[in-house]
Amino acid sequence: MDENKERMESRVNAENKESREGTEGMDSKENRKNQERNRVVIPIGPQHPSLKEPSSFTITLEGEKVVDAVVGIGYVHRGLEKACESRTYIQNLYLIERVCGICSHTHSTAFCQGIEELAGITIPRRAAYIRVIVAELERLHSHLLWLGVAAHEIGFDTLFMYSWRDREKVLDILAEICGNRVNYGINTIGGVRRDIDSEMMQNILKMADYLQEQLKYYLDLVMTDQTLSARLVGIGKLSYEEALKFGVVGPVARAAGIMDDIRIIEPYAAYGEIPVKPVTDTHADVFGRTVVRIKEMLESLEIIRFSVKNIPDGDIAVKAPKRVPAGEVISRTEAPRGENIHYIRSNGTDMPDRVRVRAPSQANWQGMRHMLQGQYLADVPITIAAIDPCYSCTDRAIIVNSESSTEVMDWQGLRQYSIDWYKKRGIDVSQVKIPERKLYV
Amino acid sequence: MQAEQEIIDRLCEKFPFLNSRIHVQRQKRIFTGHLIKEEFEQVIRYLHDEMGFYKANHVVGTDEGENLGFIYLLTNKEGIILALKEIAPKSDPKINSMTGMYPSLERHERELVDLFGAEVQGLPEGPSYPLPDGWPKGNYPLRKEWKPEYFDKNTMTYNPPVNDNDKGKH
Repeated sequence: MDENKERMESRVNAENKESREGTEGMDSKENRKNQERNRVVIPIGPQHPSLKEPSSFTITLEGEKVVDAVVGIGYVHRGLEKACESRTYIQNLYLIERVCGICSHTHSTAFCQGIEELAGITIPRRAAYIRVIVAELERLHSHLLWLGVAAHEIGFDTLFMYSWRDREKVLDILAEICGNRVNYGINTIGGVRRDIDSEMMQNILKMADYLQEQLKYYLDLVMTDQTLSARLVGIGKLSYEEALKFGVVGPVARAAGIMDDIRIIEPYAAYGEIPVKPVTDTHADVFGRTVVRIKEMLESLEIIRFSVKNIPDGDIAVKAPKRVPAGEVISRTEAPRGENIHYIRSNGTDMPDRVRVRAPSQANWQGMRHMLQGQYLADVPITIAAIDPCYSCTDRAIIVNSESSTEVMDWQGLRQYSIDWYKKRGIDVSQVKIPERKLYV
Repeated sequence: MQAEQEIIDRLCEKFPFLNSRIHVQRQKRIFTGHLIKEEFEQVIRYLHDEMGFYKANHVVGTDEGENLGFIYLLTNKEGIILALKEIAPKSDPKINSMTGMYPSLERHERELVDLFGAEVQGLPEGPSYPLPDGWPKGNYPLRKEWKPEYFDKNTMTYNPPVNDNDKGKH
């Protein structure tokens, strides 16, 4: 590993030196003009530039190197905060949970604990532990999802398939506890809606043992595999000072050596009673972000084991009032992607006056332009993916079909639609024979 | 909550106008009352330069009736959040951008422009966020008088009832 790292660092240093010398040599006006003439602007997106969500990147290239990048987001803004103002707190709970499909629990936790603080409610300890268990399971599945996406972006599809196979184990447990793979619906104002019985606890522990072995293997793989380090070390650099300047959060900040973890800074739910070890790294690049996320998953397993072992008996919820006294609150949680902040202002009725969600991706986008500058074009997708951007978080969206009609298409319907679409444009593919198949019957 | 109280004492000593307009809400949370632009800018600069509030988490825009409120959430190394509030009338909603001190605020301040109709002076150039390109001018969806039911998303026009005509537009 050390040898690898040294080799990669010397490569990166040599390249930096080269580019610096290149810049120094370009001092004359003519050279600078030539340089600008050689620049190419490439608009990428908004359709699926890296992940399967919309954003646009206007990349200015000099040869294959990125000299500037303008990030355009906001394509899935659906006015969720405005919608909150005309719904009751309980209705909002379900709306807020749909801010994000991946980290829905962290949003509903932040919202619930904000309302609980305003209403002066203390939730039962058992409920706090259940919130922690689900939060850590969510972190596991989110990071495993990320690991797969990141591996895919650098063409390492075997790791992508391994990682998503293991993610299924976590999703199975979440479905067993909550009845759903995503949007768990476990939180309610005053506690949680479902208890975890002893059989589920045993299944959680079994899953943890399985995942432990897999994660150790992935960590070993990342630390020793030459291809991985060739694609990850020195890519998307954001130093300690820059990370502070741009206010990045979560694994992106921790990979730059900043100990920024709300579970430790401001323990919520049951985190105050559970040992949480901070995970940081000093690489400050995509490699560091990968290592941090894998180590965090191992730490999550420890938190889950501790919680399952020490969960107290008792009620899982207390009754909450429908009307919330007037006031304002700032509630924070540690989402898989970093610090998640909810601001809620109540006015004494059963509907909030203002709800503001600052999801972690919104903070992490700020450093993106800087991370992309100086990179090769080929490294742009992995650099974008490395902040684990969540567009729906950033835009606080609910996915709605904005067309006048909504219809669910089956496989045949979808095929017919595409045939018609091409026919209108003069291409007839209706005679192409494809074997009959059943998909998701 | 000694650390929080010390911050308040130091601020009140430096800025007497903060007396009785700043309070500890709970552990790690300090809230101020609404400050006008000149007061706000003195305090935020002092917090940034002298008191170690190195990070701005975000800005919350609020509708305060005749005025617009802006709540800047600043954090120091101990993780204490100070919610510093600025106020500007809707008739002249000019505030200065704080991105010079806190580059992390860029996108949040753009939101104030698009969603509340604030005029944030000194914002770096860049694409607007988060409303789409064809969004009609003068429509600020997070102001209380703007009602989603009057907005036709097919024609992208805002059509309030006749007697309600002036509302929602600036």
